[in-house]
Amino acid sequence: MHSQTAFTLVITGAPYSTQAPQTALAFAKAALAQGYSIDRVFLYGDGVHLSSALAAPPSDETNWPKAWAEFLQGNDIPAVACIASALRRGILNNEEQARYQRNASNIIEPFELLGLGEWVESIASTSKTLYFHGDH
Amino acid sequence: MSVLVIIDQAPYGSWRGRESLDMALSLAAFDQPASLLFTGPGVNWLRAGQEPAGLSQKAVERNVSAAPIFGIEELLVDRQSLAKYQLEPSALIAGTSTVDYTPELLANYYHVVCL
Repeated sequence: MHSQTAFTLVITGAPYSTQAPQTALAFAKAALAQGYSIDRVFLYGDGVHLSSALAAPPSDETNWPKAWAEFLQGNDIPAVACIASALRRGILNNEEQARYQRNASNIIEPFELLGLGEWVESIASTSKTLYFHGDH
Repeated sequence: MSVLVIIDQAPYGSWRGRESLDMALSLAAFDQPASLLFTGPGVNWLRAGQEPAGLSQKAVERNVSAAPIFGIEELLVDRQSLAKYQLEPSALIAGTSTVDYTPELLANYYHVVCL
């Protein structure tokens, strides 16, 4: 076991545009299987699309938001979508739906909308921060 | 030791640079030392006199110029990239430092981010 090492995963590539969410999930499962822990998953930029509950891919394709949500809940891992990135791209929770008077909210549990401070906290901690960008 | 945020894409064509700048400003806001490095097409962020109104976008020049006021330690620009774009330091906004973008430079930072 490597209980001393913990990772923060930052995903900046969107599902179905990039492989970033898929690669990050494979890494996360492998890390847990090897006894490492994951402090937090942080979605930034286009990566926030991974937190949309409304993704409806064909039934023979993986639903990445759902696969990630199940993994996060099953392993009790905190997950954050950057609020500034998310609002621009139409990812809202109930609170932001009310604030901006939109007709729906769509964030999938357990993702939360929070600020870049969550990412800064990871940088300032002993967590190893890894980035999954997708296209470079 | 501080965090280095690298911007390697031209302004206006992608939102990535703006979101990189937001990361740097966030670090500074939480008292984490941060610097910015502009390289490749990213050096165009530093041109003085940008007028993007025709694109319905705000000039990034103003945001970068203000970054040191908000606590960003250094605005670094890659010497080779400046030469490639035939940009003289005099064509840039104030407050930049020209550096060689080398592994030795990166070794001065404990965390490097490039979206």
